[in-house]
Amino acid sequence: MPELGSPPTPQSQSAPAPAGAAARRPKIVGFLCDWAVSADGIVREDGTMRELPNVTLIKVPCSGFIRPSWLEFALKNGADGTFVCGCPLGDCFNRLGNNLIQDRVTQMRRRLERQKVQPDRIATIYYGLHEQAQFVAAVREFSDRVAQLPAPPPAPAKKPAGVSPARPADAAPSGPAPAPEEP
Amino acid sequence: MYKRLLASLLRWTLRLDVGINKVYPADFNPLYYTGGLSNLFLTILVLSGLFLFFYYVPSFNEAYVTVQYISDRVPYGQIIRGIHRYSADGFIIVILLHFFRNWFTERFRFSRDEPWISGMMLLVFAGFIGVTGYVLVWDQRAELLVVMTGNALAAIPWVGGWLRNLLFGGPGLTNLLLPRMLFLHVGPAVTLYIMLWWHYVRLRHPKVWPPAVWTLFSLGVVLLLSALIPAASQPQASPLAPPTRLAVDWFFLLPYVALKYLTPLWLIALATVIIVYGLYIPYQLPETRAELGLRESGIAQVIDANCTGCELCYYDCPYDAIVMVPTPHPGVTKAAQARKLLAIVLESRCVECGICIGACPFEALELPHFLEQDVEAKVLAACRS
Repeated sequence: MPELGSPPTPQSQSAPAPAGAAARRPKIVGFLCDWAVSADGIVREDGTMRELPNVTLIKVPCSGFIRPSWLEFALKNGADGTFVCGCPLGDCFNRLGNNLIQDRVTQMRRRLERQKVQPDRIATIYYGLHEQAQFVAAVREFSDRVAQLPAPPPAPAKKPAGVSPARPADAAPSGPAPAPEEP
Repeated sequence: MYKRLLASLLRWTLRLDVGINKVYPADFNPLYYTGGLSNLFLTILVLSGLFLFFYYVPSFNEAYVTVQYISDRVPYGQIIRGIHRYSADGFIIVILLHFFRNWFTERFRFSRDEPWISGMMLLVFAGFIGVTGYVLVWDQRAELLVVMTGNALAAIPWVGGWLRNLLFGGPGLTNLLLPRMLFLHVGPAVTLYIMLWWHYVRLRHPKVWPPAVWTLFSLGVVLLLSALIPAASQPQASPLAPPTRLAVDWFFLLPYVALKYLTPLWLIALATVIIVYGLYIPYQLPETRAELGLRESGIAQVIDANCTGCELCYYDCPYDAIVMVPTPHPGVTKAAQARKLLAIVLESRCVECGICIGACPFEALELPHFLEQDVEAKVLAACRS
């Protein structure tokens, strides 16, 4: 499980976590590479995962196909978290796709930090064709972690003004300056 | 049958990867760098071979003596000779690993037959270079190899004797033999680099070198081996005492072991079949994407109006399927109006992976049957459900 950062809650909060997760199941959209973990048997017909109905998987030809803006798009349209699953780093079927998306997601997490979106809502997961059990476990861990995150700041209030074009206008584009509202 | 075998081999390959990834971080898994490792060994071979070349004299009287001179008199000569010997073994080992790994993980599919074919050529040449290297030493094993090769070639109907004369410069042991072997040792080694160019020509950012850890490790192993088990010749070859048994290097001389069980003609037929089959592997499974259970995304298309000629897709395309050409006309969007270059997708090289779509910040590329709208519609449906 790379790219999830240090676990925020080792064991102390794990007891209340399932209750919270059950009360508000985080909506999670995952992008799954065709060549990485086989989706046979872990996905229902509508794309949700058998064991985690709150997770929807979208299959893509290669993890490098994903534009980071799609992850942002998912977050803005009501998903609580998104992740990308590719082949193990260094073993991309198309040679470099997962390294590319890894770099792009890393950059995007930095960008999201400036926009007051918790970067922990985005993850990259890398598992090979037959590692379904580990993949499901990793997704469950990610889902639990997203469930424990504090609610996102009221971004929709800013949304009608247009999020990204408005920012350079009202504040300097760099640094932590654009902090109009505190959660 | 073949498909099921391949599937189970893939399963075992990946299982091995998972095991190794538990020990090393995935970036350092040596099996992900078999290509780079063979390049490393080839470099070691060329450098140590240059050193040996300065001393070697290709004649029956002097070949053995000069090799002994390198071992006994030249400072560090024994070590360099050992390095040359053992890195050759390492070379063939990692080439075979590279071959099997890319076979089992089906890295020959779609437009990737070119690296495969050139790789097969590299493998055959590497084996050939190894055998000629064993002849150059001109000990009893070398003589035996020449005799066995000559007999095997002569067993081919019609052209056999001619082939043998071509290779050895005439029937029996002629004075041309060792110069010819020296050329056939060094010449194909140069050819390896031409083949490597062919091997890489369709690959963007090939991993040509292993991580430093594995470079040092391989160097260390080779050095250690050459110090612990000095590479030594057998007794000098002489027509008076013909050799009777073959001391085998299992990595290069396996075909000569097979001669014990097969007639020469069968061996040559078998070798031909293996090589031809190896070249045929990428074409053995002419499956369409639908038969593979993959979507038909279509060849990536450049949207002329949006392309700014920024070359990002050109740098990221793993198969060099995108070329930048001088633009015939300016683009439509503001960013694209001042462009000097335009991206073009070469259809025969595109594998529909969509990496260029992820690379493009200007929405100037699309997979025709899997558009950005399609992805966003799926995301929206997932968020609403």
